[in-house]
Parts: sequence; structure tokens; C-alpha cells
Amino acid sequence: MSDRPDTPAPALGPASPPLPTLHRILSRLHWRLALFAVMLAGLSLTATGAMVIRDYAGRNLGLVAKTVAYTVEPAILFRDAGAMRTGIATVAGGEGVRAVEVRSNSGALLLHWQRADAGTQGGLADVAGRLLWPHPAVALVGPAERRIGEVRVFGDARGIGGYVLSGALIALLCLALTAIATHLLARRLQRAVTQPLGDIARITHAVRAERDFERRVPPSGIAEIHRLGQDFNALLAELHTWHRAITSENRALVQQANHDGLTALGNRTMFEQRLAEAVDGARAQGEGFALLYLDANRFKQVNDRYGHDAGDVMLAVIAARLRVSIRPGDHAFRLGGDEFAILIAPGSGRAEVAAVVDRINSHMTQPIMLPSGDSIAASLSIGQALFPDDGDDPRDLVRQADLAMYAVKQGRSRSGSLADSPGADPIP
Amino acid sequence: MPLESGPDRVAQGVARMVGAIVAYSRWPESGPVLDICLAGRATYAARLKDMVLSNGVLARVTDLAGGVIPATGGCDLLYIGAMDPAALRLLLASAYSRPVLTMAEDDPDCRGGTMVCLLFQPGTLSFRLNIDAVSRSTVRIDPRVLRLSKGGY
Repeated sequence: MSDRPDTPAPALGPASPPLPTLHRILSRLHWRLALFAVMLAGLSLTATGAMVIRDYAGRNLGLVAKTVAYTVEPAILFRDAGAMRTGIATVAGGEGVRAVEVRSNSGALLLHWQRADAGTQGGLADVAGRLLWPHPAVALVGPAERRIGEVRVFGDARGIGGYVLSGALIALLCLALTAIATHLLARRLQRAVTQPLGDIARITHAVRAERDFERRVPPSGIAEIHRLGQDFNALLAELHTWHRAITSENRALVQQANHDGLTALGNRTMFEQRLAEAVDGARAQGEGFALLYLDANRFKQVNDRYGHDAGDVMLAVIAARLRVSIRPGDHAFRLGGDEFAILIAPGSGRAEVAAVVDRINSHMTQPIMLPSGDSIAASLSIGQALFPDDGDDPRDLVRQADLAMYAVKQGRSRSGSLADSPGADPIP
Repeated sequence: MPLESGPDRVAQGVARMVGAIVAYSRWPESGPVLDICLAGRATYAARLKDMVLSNGVLARVTDLAGGVIPATGGCDLLYIGAMDPAALRLLLASAYSRPVLTMAEDDPDCRGGTMVCLLFQPGTLSFRLNIDAVSRSTVRIDPRVLRLSKGGY
């Protein structure tokens, strides 16, 4: 014998976190996937784009160098610094050029031109420019046989910076949009999956709580869940059948336990139960009821003379006659052997009781046909007890009724065959 | 063009400038020698004969006697100093329709009809082009030179 109380089924303790919902799992998955995809696409596009732009920018710098070399060629020869500056400004004034150097053949610096706002934009673009184009674009001034000098053009990273920045912004925007989209998608998916599961859970609960075995799970749009629902419905149907069978078996057993097999009247157990109920009810309502004890006279002799089958038939016939003699609210019982009891419904007075007794006696005047063909006369000794006059306790009532019945029986045997009906076979 | 230091720095400057202009000029036919004809009273033409031109072309400076280009030609570049206008007109008429690059030393407004006019300022030397004369001449000057001229674009 275990002195430990029953442990419940293993469940998550208070320390472990709650399980994630399907929605959360789906949206986390979708979000990670979307993040990965957007990052991959964004980064690769931005990187490729930046490299392409860098190449084009580099080519542009080369072209600028060539053009500047062409433009400043005579200016170098004429040593006209102003013309050099003007020439450079018209060519290199646009985007992409940080500084231009014009050097003589020997390498001496003739002119250094810088973009007007080079300092203000800040060191980042400058540093980036130096990283992207560590070497300047170089163009030689003058034809091969008459080399005058060289032009060096340094690029800046403003264009690429702008591209990368806009790329990053677009990627962020796409991320935001896909976040919204994944949230909605996850919700739809979750509904499609969890709704049928929720239906099953709901039906389960209803079956458990309300014992309603007729509920069935509605069909679902997802194959696995649909199959689950079908199987579940089949299970419910079986449960329903089983429950019906059990219930009816129970009823039959109860019937069997409470009733006498031969006569189909209630048995002693049922009588005692009903008596107690009647006493309680009468006490509560303040009404009276009556108890009749009946005994079949000379039953033993019939049994000995005609056999047990005949005895059974006699009892069955008596029971039937009792049944028709009583009113709907009254109940008849077989207490065992040849003893019967009748509970008269509450609210009945002596007159009604006497009427029932008369009816019984008048029915009993008819002889009983035995299976052997013989016909016998039977009679009952009837004793009565009234609540609350003769007792207010089931035991007292029973004793009183029993005594009364015994008295009748004694009187009968002393004074001979009083109740024998004429024409019947007298029992010695 | 800034003038360098030295005793005849203006003449040096003039020589360099003429050399530069010649470098960007195209004659219909060019040979190993560039014939420079001096006319009028040229003040700074002393160094012209020492010019080093591209492709190893040498400069040969001659005085133009007679005040006009001879019918046989022989002048690639005409360097004109101070001259009286009537003689100048005659001279330029003789240069007309010949492949001659005319250059004036003493014509700051460049109205005299020469293609190039030298401008002298303290410390610098520049030039002006007569677009009209340049366009009519058979000697082609590189348009880039126009940018460097005073009053050019």
C-alpha cells in the first residue's frame, strides 16, 4: 500500500517557459528566412553594383585625365597657369574627381587643382576615395615624340557612397515590407493549421465535459489534419456505441439487481430502499402512507403436491393479480418465498387501502390454472401498517404489518379453510 | 607666359612664345627648316635664330629686304616689328594667299591684319590673335591656342 498520494501526469514545472505558439514558430521561421534572403540579395547586389560603379568611375577618371591632358597641353607649353586651371575646371568640375595634378616631364608639380568643396564633405569620402583608387589616373601630355608632362587625376568616393547608401536604404525598406508580409503569411498559415486542431480540441472538451458523444469534428483543408479528424470522428462513434451499450447494460443490471426474476416485481432490496424513501418522504411532506404484507396461504402444500413448477406459476399469477389490483402510484414487491409487500402511495387513507385489499381479494377468488391442467384455489393473508399511526420508522412498520399478517394467518388456520372458494380442490 | 630673369629675358621670352605658337601651327608643306623673315624694326627678335623646334626643325632668320615677300616665297613666318602702316599693308598683301604665319611685335590691338600680336607686360608675355586673319590664312593654328590668347575664350 502506497502512502504517497497519486502523482499527477508529468507536466512542465513552473520554472520552464511556456511552449511557443504555432504562429510564433512560423513567423520566426519566416522572418529568419526573409532576413537571410533580403540580406543576401541586398549585400550581393550592393557589392556587385559598387564594384561595377567603381570600374566605371575609374574609367571615367581615365577619360578625365586624357581630356585634361589634351586641354592643358598648350597651356603647359605657354606656361599659362590660369588657362590650365580653367581647362581643368571645365573638364573635372563634375562628380568623381577629388584633385588634379599637372606635372612637368621631370616630375615637378606645375599645378595642383582641388575640388571646391573637397574639405567640407568630410574625411570619410576622402578616405574611401583613397582606398578605392589608391593610384591616380595618369595621362601623358603631348604626343610621344614631344612629351611635355603628365596629368594625374585623383577620384573621390562620393558617387559610390551615394549608391551604397541608397542600396542600404532600399534593403531596409524591403526588409520592413517582407516583415509585414511574413507576419501576415504566418498568421494565415497558422490559422489554416491551428483552426482545425482547435476544432478537435474543442470537440474533445465538449465530449469530456458534456458527455455529448454525438459531436463530430468538421472536415479540414489539410490532409494530415483531415485524416486525424476522420480517425477522431470514428473514435467518437465507437465511444458513442460503447457508451450506449454500457448504459443499457447498466440499466439491465440495475433492473436485475432490484427485481425478482420470476415475478418481475421489485425484490427485497428494492422494497427496503423504497420503504426508507417513503418514510423520509412522508415525514417531509407530512402525509401518511400504508404498507401491506401479503403471504400466499398453503403455498408449501401446493409446492409439495404439484411440484416446484406449479409453485412458480402460482407465484407468478399472484404477482400479476397484485399488479392489476394496485393503483399507478402504488408499488408491489416480492420479498422472497411466498411473501409479498405493497407500498401504498402517500396521501392515501384507510378507505383507499381497504379498497386495494378488496380488489386483491376479489381477484384472488379466481382459481389458478397450473401447467399440468389442474386448477387450484389460492388466497392471501394480508396485514397492513399505516404511517404514522402504526409506526414512524421502517422497522416498526414492517413489524406491525408482519404481525398483522401473521394474526390473519393464524385466525385462518384456526378457523379452518375460511378463504377457500367453492368448487376448488380443497387442501387438507 | 612669365618672363625669366636675365639680361635679354624679353627676347628669350619672345623666342619661347614664337616656338610654342609654331609648335601648334600647321603649314601645308613643312620642311626641315622654318624660314623666319624679319620686317620693320624688330626689337626682340634677337633670339629667334636659336629657337629649338619640335621634330628637330631648325629656324633660319633672314631680313626681308624690299619690305615685301618675294614672288618666289621663302617665308614661313613673318615677324613684323615697328612699321609704317602703308608699308605694312603692302607687306601683308604680298603675304596674302601664301602659307605664312604673320606675327606683329608692335600691335597690341591686333588690328593691323597680322594673325598673332605679341603683348608685352611687366614680367609676362602674352599674345592676341586676329581671328579674321587666322581664319583666312592657310596656316592652321590649333584651336587650343585660341584659349590662351588674350581676348580669346
